[in-house]
Amino acid sequence: MSADKMATTASANGAGPVNEGKDTLSPEDLSELLAAGTKEVHEKAENTQFVKDFLKGRIRKELFKLGAVALYYTYTAMEEEIERNKDHPHFAPLYFPTELHRREALARDLEYFYGPDWQSEVSCSPAAQRYVDRIHEVGQEDPVLLVSHAYTRYMGDLSGGQVLKKVAQRAMKLPPTGEGLEFYTFDGIHSAKEFKQLYRSRMNVLVLDEDTKKRLVAEAVKAFQFNMEVFDELEEIGKTIQEDVLDAGMPVHGAMGGDISKCPYYSAKMAAAGGSEYACQLAMAVLRHPTGQVLCAALAAALAGFAAWYLM
Amino acid sequence: MQRVNMADMDADTAAHTEPSVEEEEPFFSNLDLLLFSLIVGLVVYWYMSRKKPEPIPEFKKLDTAAPAARETSFIEKMKKTGKNIIVFYGSQTGTGEEFANRLSKDAQRYGMKGMAADPEEYEMAELARLSQIENSLAIFCMATYGEGDPTDNAQDFYDWLQEIDDEDLSGLNYTVFALGNKTYEHYNAMGKYVDKRLEELGAKRIFDLGLGDDDGNLEEDFVSWREQFWPSVCEHFGVEASGDDSSIRQYELKEHTDLNMNKVYSGEMGRLKSFEVQKPPYDSKNPFLAPVTVNRKLNKAGDRHLMHVELDITGSKIRYDSGDHVAVFPTNDSAMVNKLGQILGVDLDVVISLNNLDEESNKKHPFPCPTTYRTALTHYLDISQPPRTNVLYELAQYASDPKDQENMRRMSSSSPEGKALYHSWVQGACRNILAILEDMPSLRPPVDHLCELLPRLQARYYSIASSSKVHPDRISICAVVVEYETPTGRTNKGVATNWLKNKLVTDNGHKSTVPMFIRKSQFRLPFKTTNPVIMIGPGTGIAPFMGFIQERGWLKEQGKEVGETLLYFGCRYKNEDYIYQEELEEAEKKGVLTQLNIAFSRDQEQKVYVQHLLKNSKEHLWKLIHSDNAHIYVCGDAKNMAKDVQTALQDIAEELGGMTRTQATDYVKKLMTKGRYSQDVWT
Repeated sequence: MSADKMATTASANGAGPVNEGKDTLSPEDLSELLAAGTKEVHEKAENTQFVKDFLKGRIRKELFKLGAVALYYTYTAMEEEIERNKDHPHFAPLYFPTELHRREALARDLEYFYGPDWQSEVSCSPAAQRYVDRIHEVGQEDPVLLVSHAYTRYMGDLSGGQVLKKVAQRAMKLPPTGEGLEFYTFDGIHSAKEFKQLYRSRMNVLVLDEDTKKRLVAEAVKAFQFNMEVFDELEEIGKTIQEDVLDAGMPVHGAMGGDISKCPYYSAKMAAAGGSEYACQLAMAVLRHPTGQVLCAALAAALAGFAAWYLM
Repeated sequence: MQRVNMADMDADTAAHTEPSVEEEEPFFSNLDLLLFSLIVGLVVYWYMSRKKPEPIPEFKKLDTAAPAARETSFIEKMKKTGKNIIVFYGSQTGTGEEFANRLSKDAQRYGMKGMAADPEEYEMAELARLSQIENSLAIFCMATYGEGDPTDNAQDFYDWLQEIDDEDLSGLNYTVFALGNKTYEHYNAMGKYVDKRLEELGAKRIFDLGLGDDDGNLEEDFVSWREQFWPSVCEHFGVEASGDDSSIRQYELKEHTDLNMNKVYSGEMGRLKSFEVQKPPYDSKNPFLAPVTVNRKLNKAGDRHLMHVELDITGSKIRYDSGDHVAVFPTNDSAMVNKLGQILGVDLDVVISLNNLDEESNKKHPFPCPTTYRTALTHYLDISQPPRTNVLYELAQYASDPKDQENMRRMSSSSPEGKALYHSWVQGACRNILAILEDMPSLRPPVDHLCELLPRLQARYYSIASSSKVHPDRISICAVVVEYETPTGRTNKGVATNWLKNKLVTDNGHKSTVPMFIRKSQFRLPFKTTNPVIMIGPGTGIAPFMGFIQERGWLKEQGKEVGETLLYFGCRYKNEDYIYQEELEEAEKKGVLTQLNIAFSRDQEQKVYVQHLLKNSKEHLWKLIHSDNAHIYVCGDAKNMAKDVQTALQDIAEELGGMTRTQATDYVKKLMTKGRYSQDVWT
């Protein structure tokens, strides 16, 4: 996304003064209208916490997997609507199933991440569902707007998406053979740059009045917003995952909440200090754990009750 | 602590209260006590569950949570551990760090000791004193982040570099490898800055800045740079490779004596026997063996050989579009392979495997194994291109004549004399590995090491010269055979073009076949058939346009309304290399080609090329481009022709569009971005 936008806006800005009559730059071209119209919301999307972290390599596998799930539902919906409208005059020139379609690739990625039973393990999140609903609505009632959704996702996948692929591969140590990243791999496209040029030429082939072009730009902005909602949702989920990590697991060790049995320093120290200190540490660890606390309290209550009964 | 005791105390208290009231009437009933202890338990639980939210640890804190006694002087650390090479890394996602680690490990191969270091953890000002260590070298693996910024861990280093003006870094030997991505505007800004700044401050650059492009192939860029880098380091320090002068091999040779030939590769790219049992889908690992049905010479005279080759893809289920590329897997000339075997004194038909010594590596073998040397040198290895300097460096040890060895080492170093020698003796003289062995009789490497060093033989790509609408079962290739005399009096032959030329159509049962697959391109006729089409393709650049013209003709026959179709073709002499003359004139007659413009460059005194013809019809062209939505296609030579054509079109836009130079340039660039100006060009 970023590269594509940077290229087109750079040339749009550097072109010099606009002439009278037919503009030398033809701002009527849908490809340019879309690029210009989504520039602002594109920057916003790039600056969401989720994306910023992702680009820095800070992406936890659990979130990446959930992201792939959201993408699966999104592309399933989009490609279903594209199939429905493949001969519609407002979409036909952009019909590139072999080159672009991602649903099968995403299914393979999800199988890699969740196992052969992945379909029963994944579900559509609320934010993704809103996105999916809009896509179906558009595909069934106003197919020309499907162009905006296809543009937003596919062009992005072929631009910044390629950068994300490499970041993800390193950050999560995914195999170099490409499993888990098939979404980002367009086997049918040798040069992303050339394909994008072809795609733009096809967008500009569509016969559209001014009003429709405006609606297309507005819908593309909406598409970005749907994507940002999914990012934000992932970010929220990310926070709860963090808490679980800190709460779960016994015994806890240090402010970081790590598993003490894995700490080499600790085990060395314990070996030196002898067993009693360990028991004490363990007791303290148990009591810091909320479940441990419940158990202790219950145990205390039970003991008290039993003692009371016994001594009566 | 407190709470624990309280809980224990409560339990104890509850237990202890009992005996004290044992003699009297129980003050509390059983139930009361049970309820009481339950309440206490619940209170305890509630109190302890009110823990403060744990702060989510920032990644950075982990980094800086270091024990106080940590060494921040890298010079001290190097002295203590006997290292002379330090590799600093500016890394965000870990790649720069990985490269730094690999480089520091490399050092020992060359008799030196290296360590990787995070600039954030050390006092970088010590760079001024690195010369205290003998034969010291600082390598920098610097990634660029965002808008030309340093990575987080290199921020301080960057600030320091900017602030110090009077620091004298003479005595510091350094080199930089930059990691970046060409799709970003400030490509490799950080690496470039460090390289330049250190020089400004007086440090000595001992090897060229390496530029890695993550949009292309960062790993490859790194490996190529590193291959040239180490030999030049050794040269610079006058250091010999470690131990007994033998370099460390990557692969181990295993000879097979009793292997069933069914298990031996005979040229397949992927699956064994994939050439015998053909199964779709066909791709680079599983090419289709297409029979050659036509192989004719296109030119009528002259010393070159232009050919038209047709491949039959019936039954393969292969589909293509005009404008796509056909990839073919050529083989090396068998005479050349035999000569190599003779000069190295080996039996080429021994069955061998080369197994990777690094068991962790994904690349088990350098080429499909087990196989014979003959197959490897014929199908899998490139023996025609001039060997790269790292190959020369590794082979140098096998030159028994010390002068030969010295020359080999010199040519692989980065000293100016070395570079010049390589440039003239290898590149300028067009010496391939066989020529080098012939001209350096004392150089006799073992054949297995040579096979480890030679690069893989690549598939060649040709623009398809037919239309699948008209010829769905046939793929046409238009190519010129490469053959030239070298300064040493040898004749160098292009691998693929000579191989194709010899794929003759035979009358007897045995068919010549070509292992091929299709690589889709985005070079496409316009979606709307009414769009005018301007095709510019001199020489063999006409190839895809033969397909385009066939397709436009087919569309017309289908009753579709077809826009203007213009061709600008160029060749040397009308009577010699006007290829496809009959087909083109026929198309013009039928009105499929609305304009046929040919530039015969040498038929008159002054040279006439396609760009001149463009200027001749500039008004018509401008109308088509600016008002009629024409699509422009350029195919052929990238270096000169494509640039000249682009300039000519910019001139037309400037003149007839009333634009400034800048506007015209942008106008043409815009046409490219919008997919109305496509190029299929090669160097």
